[in-house]
Amino acid sequence: MKRFVYTCFVAFWSSVISIWSFAALAAGGGAAEGEPDGEGAITASEVAEHSTPDDCWMVIDGVVYDVSEYIPQHPAPPTVMTEWCGKEATEPYRTKGYGRPHSPAADAMLPGYRVGPLADEQ
Amino acid sequence: MLPYHRRFQLAREAHLIGSGAARGLVRAVTAALGVGPLIWVGAAAGIEDVSGAPDVVRLAGAAAGVAGLSWLLLAMVLSIRVPGLDGAFGGLLSLWRFHHRLGAASFVLVMLHPVLLALAAAADGPRVVLAVLTPSWQAWPVWSGWVALLLMMVYLAPSFAFFGHPRYQRWKTLHRLSAAAVLLAVVHGVALSRALPGAQALWLWGGFGALAGVAFVWRLLLSRWLSRRDYVISHVQPLAEGVVELTLDGPPLAFRPGQFVYLTPLDSALGAGCGEEHPYSIVSAPHEDVVRIGVKDLGDASHALLDVTPGSRALLEGPYGEFLPAAHQEPALWIGGGIGLTPFVSAARSFARSGGPADVHLVYCANDPTRAYYLDELKDIAAREPGFTVQAHYFAEQGPLSLEYLRANVPSYAWRQAYVCGPLPLLDLARRLLRDSGVPRRHITTEEFNLL
Repeated sequence: MKRFVYTCFVAFWSSVISIWSFAALAAGGGAAEGEPDGEGAITASEVAEHSTPDDCWMVIDGVVYDVSEYIPQHPAPPTVMTEWCGKEATEPYRTKGYGRPHSPAADAMLPGYRVGPLADEQ
Repeated sequence: MLPYHRRFQLAREAHLIGSGAARGLVRAVTAALGVGPLIWVGAAAGIEDVSGAPDVVRLAGAAAGVAGLSWLLLAMVLSIRVPGLDGAFGGLLSLWRFHHRLGAASFVLVMLHPVLLALAAAADGPRVVLAVLTPSWQAWPVWSGWVALLLMMVYLAPSFAFFGHPRYQRWKTLHRLSAAAVLLAVVHGVALSRALPGAQALWLWGGFGALAGVAFVWRLLLSRWLSRRDYVISHVQPLAEGVVELTLDGPPLAFRPGQFVYLTPLDSALGAGCGEEHPYSIVSAPHEDVVRIGVKDLGDASHALLDVTPGSRALLEGPYGEFLPAAHQEPALWIGGGIGLTPFVSAARSFARSGGPADVHLVYCANDPTRAYYLDELKDIAAREPGFTVQAHYFAEQGPLSLEYLRANVPSYAWRQAYVCGPLPLLDLARRLLRDSGVPRRHITTEEFNLL
């Protein structure tokens, strides 16, 4: 049994290092995280115009996201998301309505749906 | 001083675990702790939309995490080592083997957990995979899990002989890191629990974690004051080269022949092992006023104990073990080698007070007559007890123990309950000879102290 556990230990590090390296290289070659040129700030009223399930924008932590294509894949029923289309959704994203935040994986998915920053309004 | 039988009766009542019902309860609670969390979380998760391979892999990864954490916590709970509790598991040595396997299983599952979760994120793209494995610092509960896993690797490496056979004391000290690993793992589990609402996750893992914490605090701190008792080593009797019998004066110890204690010598003049606990078999009978243990030079601590100062203090904790039965009504074959004779000597010495056995044959395996300590005493006892027979088998004259010897010297040896205690080669040999003679596994009980 000792040999089996040692084998699992070696296999673990091999797997983790391989997976991590593959993902890091694949992510590095993809779109950069920075803001693309010419991206203007979006006002809240503009966000409110995209408030249907087929055309759904929402604001999380001062950034506007177009999550229309994601809604069908969301683990919870679509209504929990569509309720917030066109609106400020930071608090429901952070708490899911019952005090549990979204996973780090979800946080990492968000940039893929970014539209632009929310404009400061006085 | 109460008569022996009354002391034993009181002790049995005082013992936490004596009856079959109590033992069954202990085993049931252990099983509940082992599978309960997985059932609880599984039920809460429900049959959600499991669509496609990534969901299956993610569920498997979550299940591996729940099972791994449960068994890690259960392993810690089982290490409480309260005298008597080990009876429910067939003795402390059996319990340690169970603990070892639980630890191995939890270690493997906890390693599977992040790998499966990372693979499950593959469909969402490389950035998500990276976020699962190495998220930002805001996702500190994930890092708590990583540190817990790394700590596990550190203190389990010697347990699984990653760098060869470990040194006993170093392994024991390093194993205390398990407390930090468990704490961080529980935090990780509570913070990242998805199926269970926050409060339930806190009750489940917090409660289980607290139970493990109690066991840890008892074992490492409280037992020193509440379970270990003060004795004085009044006499050191040499028996042979590298073997002594220690006589300990102190409070009466209620035990059965065949059980052992953990001895912590406090003699500052000792070359090694002062303040360290090590297991030794009890060689005295339960009715005696003193406790006598047999010590053979098998390591640094036992080597130093051969020269312990008479009159010095020592702590005893016990008794532990489930080797010999309480009564000897069935025909039995006892095979003892070297210091492995001690449990049988304890039993033989007890015949005078508790009555002789129905039909017990003891085969004393020694290298040669100069290594046959206790043989004269055993022969005297055999002369008095009609149901007790002793034969000496000398390796130097007759070679290793053999079927021919057993057939010639022990009538119906294959029909007896066999009890074997001694060095590993003797245990392996005896087990093989008996199995080859058709003795079923459940009729062979062995006791050996090689735990690492």
